[in-house]
Amino acid sequence: MNFWPAMAELGGDYDDCHPEELIKMPATAETISLGLPVAIDRIDRELKKLWSEGEGAMTRASLMNLAVYSEERESLTRNTRLLARITENHACRAIVIGADPHARNDRMEAWISAHCHLSRAGTKRVCSEQISFLLEGATVKLLPSIVFSQLDSDLPLYLWWQPEFAEPMDPQLWSWIDRLIYDSQSWRDFKLQMRLVEMAQREAKQRIVLCDLNWTRLVHFRLAFAQFFDHPGSHHHFREIKNGSIIFGHGFRSTAILFVGWLAAQLGWEIRSEKNAELIELENFDGKTVRIQLQEKGDAPIASFTAQSGEIEFQVTLASCGDLLEVCRGKLGEAPARQVLPSAENDSVKLMSEELMRGGPHHVYLRAVEKVRTLL
Amino acid sequence: MTKGSEQPNPLREGLSTRAVPQPCAIAIFGATGDLTHRKLIPALYNLAADGELPPAVAVIGFARRSKSDDEFRNELAQTTKQFSRQDLREDIWKTFAQSILYHQSEFEDESGYQSLAKRLDQIDEERGTRGNRLFYLAAAPEKFEPILKNLKAAGLNKAKEGSWARVIIEKPFGRDLRSAQELNRVVSDAFVEDQTYRIDHFLGKETAQNILVLRFANAIFEPIWNARYIDHVQITAAETLGVEGRAGYYETAGALRDMVQNHLLQLLCLVAMEAPTDLSADSIRDEKVKVVRSLRRYRADEIAKLVVRGQYTKGAINGENVPGYREEENVNPKSETETYVALRLSIETWRWSEVPIYLRVGKHLPKSATEISVHFKKAPMVLFNRDSTEHDQNVLVIRIQPDEGISLRMMAKIPGTSLRIEPVKMDFHYGTSFGKASPEAYERLLLDAMSGDATLFARRDEVEEAWAFIDPIEKAWAEKNAPRLTFYPAGSWGPEEADELLARDGRAWRRL
Repeated sequence: MNFWPAMAELGGDYDDCHPEELIKMPATAETISLGLPVAIDRIDRELKKLWSEGEGAMTRASLMNLAVYSEERESLTRNTRLLARITENHACRAIVIGADPHARNDRMEAWISAHCHLSRAGTKRVCSEQISFLLEGATVKLLPSIVFSQLDSDLPLYLWWQPEFAEPMDPQLWSWIDRLIYDSQSWRDFKLQMRLVEMAQREAKQRIVLCDLNWTRLVHFRLAFAQFFDHPGSHHHFREIKNGSIIFGHGFRSTAILFVGWLAAQLGWEIRSEKNAELIELENFDGKTVRIQLQEKGDAPIASFTAQSGEIEFQVTLASCGDLLEVCRGKLGEAPARQVLPSAENDSVKLMSEELMRGGPHHVYLRAVEKVRTLL
Repeated sequence: MTKGSEQPNPLREGLSTRAVPQPCAIAIFGATGDLTHRKLIPALYNLAADGELPPAVAVIGFARRSKSDDEFRNELAQTTKQFSRQDLREDIWKTFAQSILYHQSEFEDESGYQSLAKRLDQIDEERGTRGNRLFYLAAAPEKFEPILKNLKAAGLNKAKEGSWARVIIEKPFGRDLRSAQELNRVVSDAFVEDQTYRIDHFLGKETAQNILVLRFANAIFEPIWNARYIDHVQITAAETLGVEGRAGYYETAGALRDMVQNHLLQLLCLVAMEAPTDLSADSIRDEKVKVVRSLRRYRADEIAKLVVRGQYTKGAINGENVPGYREEENVNPKSETETYVALRLSIETWRWSEVPIYLRVGKHLPKSATEISVHFKKAPMVLFNRDSTEHDQNVLVIRIQPDEGISLRMMAKIPGTSLRIEPVKMDFHYGTSFGKASPEAYERLLLDAMSGDATLFARRDEVEEAWAFIDPIEKAWAEKNAPRLTFYPAGSWGPEEADELLARDGRAWRRL
């Protein structure tokens, strides 16, 4: 592929660059990683050319359209870096949009490139196309018509929306989307943002699946805690859990609250009150009180969760290596049997990979949000 | 293909789409053997690394040699490092290894099973395995009977209230119908059919499982999946390897018993079965067994014509000279054992009436590949005023291994002013589209056995029906005036007689 030297500095598998092609690259540090600049009306043609001029055994692969929208400066480069890693496991047509709706002048630029990785067998290179757009000023409003006309046909569209949602929401936009991915951890006003998201979902007639990366962050913790109760003989603990405690990292209170929401939604608990910032009281289906202590400590989104049922303690703790969970169940005061389970680092690529791999609707998420909406 | 527990865990909702494996103790008989070291422990380690194992699991190696738990763990660490799909992570292995124990006993020694029973009770207490037991018979087939009898004598075949006991049996499931029935009798004397899991690792492969998805989740295939549109089907299992130290076993088995009776007929069942009423294990297996039952049995005089048996002679594989089968170590220099079989089958149902199914399996062939190809009938070529060739057919290929995937050959016009048409291929590769590596077949199958999902395991009647089909062929080959054994040089695509088998019908083997 003759314009991939741009990708070489991203550390991927882009080694057959041709020095003379560097001349074609834009000169700025940001755009140098975006590939070949193209006129918007020539994107299709240039993509075809890209494949016809490719060298060696290469295969274009795509299972979805993955659009990434950001309004942050330098986001095109940053998101290109992320996609270089995401496409290792999730072949897609990536559409990366860097937008500045507040820019004084209107500007619209596009680039094409590809992320190539050696296949598992190591015999050929599997490539995902990327189309990058820079939209400034009024051109941002043209997002659906310009950007989404570049979709790979018949494949679902996943939109990873990185900024906060703002009114008015463009109803035309939502009609294109199959899965809307966002991260509620960074939201300043959860209720407002969630209202906008739900509005978008309603406008799309519920067709959109809402995918909150803050919820995805909890997958491994939820799995680790759930597995204690796989045997029906342990289900009596659901009625007997009286206390729990969560240690969460700075900025991840909403993650911890979502975890409480999950327990409440699945075990039939109701929020009774938030005594203070550190204690939530719930009522289980027998009317008994369950107290969940919240403690902020360190940087890990969730560092540990412990629940007590009678004399039995269930504990899930993030191991110091950061990608394993230590799981133990035992009588208070006795040495419990330990087990390790996989976890994922709190990293955008890992979270996105986890989310893209899981698929399916997220009914449980919506129920969990409903339970703790007032606390978020 | 899943079977949930009666009381599902509400915390699993949205997290798991498969039946969840239950806490259990896994006792492996033949714990010092190759299968345990190369496949079973690496599979269990990978499940642990992926977080798929239940919270409480104990693995007890049962074998005759004397060794401590730690010695056993150290040996397994070395081989798991070598054979695991994922790199061995010290921290994960350390925790997983704590669940591995060693139990020394002769297979024939009843007291060894009594002490095993006590040890399992103790493990239940200490590790929370809840009385659930999975017995894996990874020993030589002649040891199955004493193992099963002793398990029964020690009461290990019966689970306590609220628990389960299951047994996994490795192939070969007998060497003919009579021995298979005898083995099934021995098994059923100790374990009822619901507790019995006969493993055929071909069924644990991703693409084998995908056959049902391809056929029944895509509306375009089912309407044309019949004699009206399908000309014939070919199933190939080719290996570049020879007998590789398995000569002792292979001499008594041969390709027909080793591959056709189990793996190839299982694949055929998935291709030819009717849609099951649901995805429960028995619904799927009910439909599969109907396919084997519907296979037209050969008359004695047809076998020479419809079944080709071959044996490799010296030749070259990948540029290296290899000896002929009869020159291999531990092989009788006058051996009549077949290393290659090709068969023409007929399924006597409305769907498959007059659609020949060709199977071939062989060792020391030019390349290793297992695949199913469905060859559709030709379109009338009157429109294109073109001589018809074999390439005119649309062919759907399901590649089982390696490079799992699906391809479809169709005709397309060559660009230009003249009307020339040529075959083109639409190709789907698992490895290209999905970056995530598929689990090994044993991982999937062990997990299924722990979850109580028997879909991908062979049922008693399937095994016996398959032998009932194979037996007359073996019998004919054992006769004095048996159809002659044919020969092929290692590195070729088999004996000429196999090509003639198809050529007589105006067809040819697909070029792999």
